[in-house]
Amino acid sequence: MKLDSKVPTGPIEDQWDKHRFELKLVNPANKRKHKVLVVGTGLAGASAAASLAELGYNVEAFCVQDSPRRAHSIAAQGGINAAKNYPNDGDSVWRLFYDTVKGGDFRARESNVYRLAQVSNAIIDQCVAQGVPFAREYGGLLDNRSFGGAQVSRTFYARGQTGQQLLLGAYSALLRQVGAGAVKMFPRREMLDLVVVDGVARGIVCRNLVTGAAEKYWGDAVLLCTGGYGNVFNLSTNANSCNVTAAWRAHKRGAAFANPCFTQIHPTCIPVAGAHQSKLTLMSESLRNDGRIWVPKKKGDARKPQDIPESERDYYLERKYPAFGNLVPRDIASRAAKQMTDDGRGARGGLAVFLDFQDSIKRLGKDKIAEKYGNLFDMYHHITDEDPYQAPMRIYPAVHYAMGGLWVDYNLMTTVPGLFCLGEANFSDHGANRLGASALMQGLADGYFVIPYTLGGYLAGAKLGKVTTDHDAFREAESSVTARTKKLLSSGGKRTPQDFHRQLGKVMWENVGMGRNAKGLKEALSQIPRIREEFWKTVSVTGSGESFNQTLERAGRVADFLEFGELLAKDALLREESCGGHFREEHQTEDGEAKRDDANFSHVAVWEHNGEGQDPARHTEPLTFENVHIAQRNYA
Amino acid sequence: MNLTLKVWRQKDAQSDGGFVEYKIADVTNDMSFLEMLDILNEELVAKGSDAISFDHDCREGICGMCALMIDGQAHGKDKAATSCQLHMRRYQDGDTITIEPFRAKAFPVLKDLVVDRSAFDRIQAAGGFVSVATGNAQDANAILIPKQNAEKAMDAASCIGCGACVAACPNASAMLFVAAKVSQYALLPQGRPEREKRVLAMREAMDAEGFGHCTNEYECEASCPKGINVSNIARLNREFLRAAVLAE
Amino acid sequence: MNAAKTCCCQCSCRLFEFLESSIGKKVMIALAGFLLCGFLITHLAGNMFMFGGANAFNHYAEALESNPFLPLAEIGLAALFLLHIALTIRAKFANMAARPVAYEVYQGKGARTPGSSTMAATGALILAFIVIHVATLKFEVGGSKGPDLFAHVTGWFKNPLYAGFYILAVAGVGLHLSHGVQSAIQTLGVSHPRYTPMFRKLGLLFAVAISVGFASLPIYFGFFHHDMACCAAKGGAQ
Repeated sequence: MKLDSKVPTGPIEDQWDKHRFELKLVNPANKRKHKVLVVGTGLAGASAAASLAELGYNVEAFCVQDSPRRAHSIAAQGGINAAKNYPNDGDSVWRLFYDTVKGGDFRARESNVYRLAQVSNAIIDQCVAQGVPFAREYGGLLDNRSFGGAQVSRTFYARGQTGQQLLLGAYSALLRQVGAGAVKMFPRREMLDLVVVDGVARGIVCRNLVTGAAEKYWGDAVLLCTGGYGNVFNLSTNANSCNVTAAWRAHKRGAAFANPCFTQIHPTCIPVAGAHQSKLTLMSESLRNDGRIWVPKKKGDARKPQDIPESERDYYLERKYPAFGNLVPRDIASRAAKQMTDDGRGARGGLAVFLDFQDSIKRLGKDKIAEKYGNLFDMYHHITDEDPYQAPMRIYPAVHYAMGGLWVDYNLMTTVPGLFCLGEANFSDHGANRLGASALMQGLADGYFVIPYTLGGYLAGAKLGKVTTDHDAFREAESSVTARTKKLLSSGGKRTPQDFHRQLGKVMWENVGMGRNAKGLKEALSQIPRIREEFWKTVSVTGSGESFNQTLERAGRVADFLEFGELLAKDALLREESCGGHFREEHQTEDGEAKRDDANFSHVAVWEHNGEGQDPARHTEPLTFENVHIAQRNYA
Repeated sequence: MNLTLKVWRQKDAQSDGGFVEYKIADVTNDMSFLEMLDILNEELVAKGSDAISFDHDCREGICGMCALMIDGQAHGKDKAATSCQLHMRRYQDGDTITIEPFRAKAFPVLKDLVVDRSAFDRIQAAGGFVSVATGNAQDANAILIPKQNAEKAMDAASCIGCGACVAACPNASAMLFVAAKVSQYALLPQGRPEREKRVLAMREAMDAEGFGHCTNEYECEASCPKGINVSNIARLNREFLRAAVLAE
Repeated sequence: MNAAKTCCCQCSCRLFEFLESSIGKKVMIALAGFLLCGFLITHLAGNMFMFGGANAFNHYAEALESNPFLPLAEIGLAALFLLHIALTIRAKFANMAARPVAYEVYQGKGARTPGSSTMAATGALILAFIVIHVATLKFEVGGSKGPDLFAHVTGWFKNPLYAGFYILAVAGVGLHLSHGVQSAIQTLGVSHPRYTPMFRKLGLLFAVAISVGFASLPIYFGFFHHDMACCAAKGGAQ
């Protein structure tokens, strides 16, 4: 497999300008003759569909939800970064670029990250113009805050609902185009296959989730904006419908998958309450600004936190990282919590640690704490029925974001010509770890400011013949989708798809979660195929294929996770180093910190599907760092 | 706890539906309402029966997908919460709970508890936007917006489009939803150029969908999971009156 | 407003479209409602002459009836009532159509008030009352007025059935207004965080004042006026 990143040459700050100039343009009159399929309508998909339609392309957009407004981008709380430097505190495009590459533990492509930082300012302008109600100061100017340990205040926010407001902005732009007839919107559709004609992506097959019909759509290009695969762990902060299916089917049709083992685990989530748990709820990281994290010193101490005297508490982050204390980066805080619970010192003897506000309440008063975190405290109280003003919160890490995804070049095109991948679904910008408030930035950068140029460059240069949905490739894809649906419905066992999902999630979380080692990974690699085999033999999928059927939807997604999980574990096993969210216990410093191996692993691992039952091939795209100085992260 | 559920089952949009009674045992306090339904569904699937369809996604109260009428209350008995944020500790052993879909002519039932809320999308497509194509924007800080207005716009913009306002309204009116969107843009200078056009178009689209009239009973506000204030409806009325008089 | 272009008279067409729109209809209902409130105030003020005795009241009635503009005002008033009722009925049908399948259980979250949930019932009650009221006191159904209107009215009030219905109806007016006034203010787009709660209270106060004011007449002249009647009155009707 040839991996050409198409990164422009020359000084990094000129690359995007130069590249835009070099990209061919599509004649305005010809744009409406091109049909573009956009799958997924989160930040990346909605912004791309709207922007392309504004340019004159004929766009068809698809989403699994009942409305494009509900994509999981909506749940992002914290904010969106930009290098505006409004607070005059020393920020710049260069610094945002640098922080992002460093935060990603030097496993991202420099040129992509630089471009991301470059367009970040235009995103804020665009969103404000759309009427996104960002937080403001009394003088009417935009407010900024420091987020996720950044040393500058570059995060724009709309209360704790920044993702919602940005998505609704993109959604409004999308619906303007729907109203104008430039975008045709297809909600409640799930993409189940990619159609490749003569090596070029030319369409998709969807299941109409209301009627159950397999529907074929042709296009001159296909944009996958289908989000991340965190739900391979079953329990994550992702929405229930988040899945890997579209990306995975595209992978099987030739799109290479990059760095699947790079997943982010968020340290401050509400712990699992029981086997019934369907999803984990994130609590804003800002809580760590005033909360102190501790566990009992004694193993198996199940006492109430109020009954544990000060001398028997271990404020382990403050002890291990005196400089940063409770504010160490996400991956470090998460791993430390796992170490404590592995050691049998979890809160109340379970899988959780305490996040204690008593000192802050004493110091600042309850009112001040309520003013800062009132809504979060209420949310916690509501979910757990425990009052965090009285007793410490119990928190635990949870899977939150996928840095890995389909491999894309500088133009966001996958290894299948004509198939582009945007947002969380691609691998491009965050390396091995994503910084807070950068996910929203990337989704919108891809959709508003990258794809409108690079797609034109592709379409202007591609010699695309006419294709209709009667083409053999469409028929073949349709029949494979139908056959698979039939197979799922006919297994006739007794176990629910959720049950398999839980089983897979447990294997993934225990062996491929926060701390990974060769033994555990091999264990996962031996178990996953067994679960998969069991799945196809004994899964119970009731209802019919020709109607609304959520059991069938879930079963199809679990089936794909059962294949994808194996690739994730394999990637984790072969990456014999620790970096960012990928922590291999064999590769740590004496202090227990992640130890990168730049000599052997300064590359993107790119996986090629070799057919059913065959081992996938691992290719590499070397990463070179000409503009940032590589260093070991150190937070002690 | 053990509970009895009376659940609306309907095969598809064309079929007639009816209530089916289910018993569910060993429900615990820390389950969410939807997790309780998950368990019931798993029992049904394991037995070979068709699961109860209900919309849900983020399960943290922001996506607006879940939409259940629980014992005659949109999203159940809690205030300022979605169905997914309701917990079983709010119930007691032996309770009977009636679960219905949101009911409105403009929200046809697709299956069981799932309704089609695309009417909201069509209303939004009629005018719920600022016409600013990508790349046209001036510097974000060139527009000064008083904090108070930004906050009010944010209050209105926090609508999650779940449709509880319609479900709870005795007249199945969508005024709170439309008002939230119209208000957000009416409060911001970015929305001013299309002010009249927007409110006229969105009102027209709203009526065309077959929603009822607002009789100012404010059940919408009481049922809104985001607590959107009915003062927005007054603003919508004001904007509409103004536009109806001024439009050329 | 595309329809305007196809219409020969743009102005009337726009008015028609306004009246057909959900918000426009409600605005007209609210405006008519407000004007009817104005009527209630003047009517009540006029009725208060009854407490001034037969002469005062009959004088006032004469002056009113000799006003050449009275028929015009009466027609206007009837038109207001008809507009208020007709548009409400239209809206009511549209509202019923907006939810073709009713809920098995409906309890809401406590925002509805006794007034708001009974608007249709109190509206119908008021309509029935107006018919009887106008029939008996204006068109002399069930007894002619004669020259002494005061006696005619108090005579009716002495009929417990009539007085009871009168009191019930004005209580209905109060209930109707308890929702109607604040609702009309909201529909006309008046809202302010500081003043709206005040408006809502004033609306309630107005509702109570109107119903107590009107109810005071049958209560006083129907049940407590006997003694004084011997001295002052010249005998009731019938």
